[in-house]
Amino acid sequence: MTLDRAIDAMPAATPLRLRLEGWGTPITLLVVWLLLIAATGLYRPDFFAHQTVLAIAFTMSITGVLAIGQGIIGISGGFIDLSQPACLILSGLVAVRLSEAGLPLAVVFAGAIIVGMAWGALNAAIVVAAKLNPVIVTLATNFIGLAALYLVFQLAQVPNDSEIYHMGRARFLGLPVIWWPMLVLIVIVGYLVHYTRFGRRMTAVGGNRFAAKARGISLKTTRFATFMAAGGFVGFAAVLFASAAGPFNPSSAITLQLSVIAAVILAGISLAGGRGSFWMLLLSVGFLSTIPTSLVFFGLSSDNQSIFQGTLLMIAVAIDGYRARRGSP
Amino acid sequence: MRKLMPTIAVMALSVPALLGLSGIAQAQDKFKLGMAVGGNTCCEWMKAQGDVARALAEKAGWDYVELSNNNDPATAVKNAQIFVQEGVDAVIQFNGQPSANAAISAVLGAAKIPVVTYDIADPGMYFVSIDNLAAGIAGGEQLGLIMKEKWDCNPDLVISSEGAGAGIVNEWRTGGMRTGVNNICPGIPDEKYISFEGSGDAAVALPAARDLLAANPNAVKMAVVGINDGGMLGLINAAEQLGRADEVIGWGQDGAFITGDNVNPHLAGSVFYFLEGYAVYAIRDVIGPIAEGKDVPLKADPGDPASKVQPCPVSAEQAKAVPDMPERVVALLAAPAGTTEYDLFCPNK
Repeated sequence: MTLDRAIDAMPAATPLRLRLEGWGTPITLLVVWLLLIAATGLYRPDFFAHQTVLAIAFTMSITGVLAIGQGIIGISGGFIDLSQPACLILSGLVAVRLSEAGLPLAVVFAGAIIVGMAWGALNAAIVVAAKLNPVIVTLATNFIGLAALYLVFQLAQVPNDSEIYHMGRARFLGLPVIWWPMLVLIVIVGYLVHYTRFGRRMTAVGGNRFAAKARGISLKTTRFATFMAAGGFVGFAAVLFASAAGPFNPSSAITLQLSVIAAVILAGISLAGGRGSFWMLLLSVGFLSTIPTSLVFFGLSSDNQSIFQGTLLMIAVAIDGYRARRGSP
Repeated sequence: MRKLMPTIAVMALSVPALLGLSGIAQAQDKFKLGMAVGGNTCCEWMKAQGDVARALAEKAGWDYVELSNNNDPATAVKNAQIFVQEGVDAVIQFNGQPSANAAISAVLGAAKIPVVTYDIADPGMYFVSIDNLAAGIAGGEQLGLIMKEKWDCNPDLVISSEGAGAGIVNEWRTGGMRTGVNNICPGIPDEKYISFEGSGDAAVALPAARDLLAANPNAVKMAVVGINDGGMLGLINAAEQLGRADEVIGWGQDGAFITGDNVNPHLAGSVFYFLEGYAVYAIRDVIGPIAEGKDVPLKADPGDPASKVQPCPVSAEQAKAVPDMPERVVALLAAPAGTTEYDLFCPNK
């Protein structure tokens, strides 16, 4: 082969942007996270301590599981579920009452998950029956739910000597026990969404509901299933929340909402539906959970985190919109 | 007979109408109390404040109207307007949003309706309050005594869980507690006093408390104070999660989490305000005399309030003898008029 022919036979040079296709977001997020860790560690070397890892891992646990539920709604085209706080508190209250009754942890989990799924089914029923925008519906059910919860209870707290209380303080392999289910769920859901029929249908409905319908996918069934699944994850997160939070009231979960939505968007899960990887949630939730801890090490109050998270959210939404306009993943 | 029928009908219809009119006249003669509860879901006592006021008003034979401020300034002002429309004779309020007090005062003042306000003073309102600074100092001194006994006044950290939203009340309580600690243990270096924002809510305070502990990895002997028991518990829970609760001692304010069978073992004590029973003070010293037609001079100054609620610092051990809030309310309502919960339940009178 002459040199000229060899050159002709070579594939065209691929631009760096294309070669990074699909990996751009995780690499960027990972680099930014590592930079944050490195900067904090340089400023305060004691940042590299087990206590820091524990603090971040505890924060990740509940946010991570809630982000799975939020991500399912997003990827299926439901945009966002604004009723997560009410669902979390309702399911958490059920978890407290079941643990007060002395029931085993498995029953506590089952009860909270069932209540969460029922909440999701309620949202789906309203969305499907009234053909309303899911954002409006979940905003309304959150208001109604919290108002109703105010009437039912003021404070709830799992018993100090219960299994669930100890779960919220225990460790496994040096990390909080409640962190591990978050990891396992993200890995499993990431797999299911990409490699199972239902997962692909859910993503297809989010990507193009008309095309999905033309392919014989039932939009109603998918909507119900996604809202119920998302509610189930909130129910699961509620048990983790009840185990770790100490006494809580109906408004105790409102502050979680911003972190969860930011985590989903930063993970690249499109709120317009149809694309995103759940495995990326590990990076985005980890990054967002590190920010408040870093701020405290820098001598800033952790309540400044809202400023950082709000800014990041804006940037992430802008990137999401840019991606959607370009049609790139 | 035909002519008689309409007459009988008119007479029959007149009876309920007359009864109704006499009822209205009677209702107009009745004293009517308006109560604006705080409506912050953080605390059970906010709802209970309304329950006690309602029971005492009914006991006194008054009409009673209750509205919730929903912890929102705009709602609090709107409620004041509703009270005017309702024609109440006096109002009691707990308003956790002091920014609205001037507007509320103007609305009710224009209608010549006297207002009692709890814990957050306003120049136009009768002030009924715990002495928050005294309560803070009392709690801090009790904690200081424990620190002196256990650590020879040499803690690694004295941590305050703040609730900045409560404004000056937060400064009085947490600042008072630091002053109290300093009264017993003078000489603790300033850098050992640190604070974080806990919003007076254990669940909200928890992540910030974990971060604070992570940033102080070598602190073991930690004394914790807070604007209330809930905010302080946030740090205790965080210490438990990070495996550092062995030597944490907390002393709270308000007594919300120190009774019952689910008390955290690291909560050494709290200061009872018996917040749910404030209406006893308001009615005994202000509203009752007004209802009797007496002239009650306006006392709005925190230094010289219309009625002063006594703080009651108790250790966790002593608190075991103090019943839960629902039981206290039942006992309070069964007690002779004017009896306070301090009289009934404080072990350190």
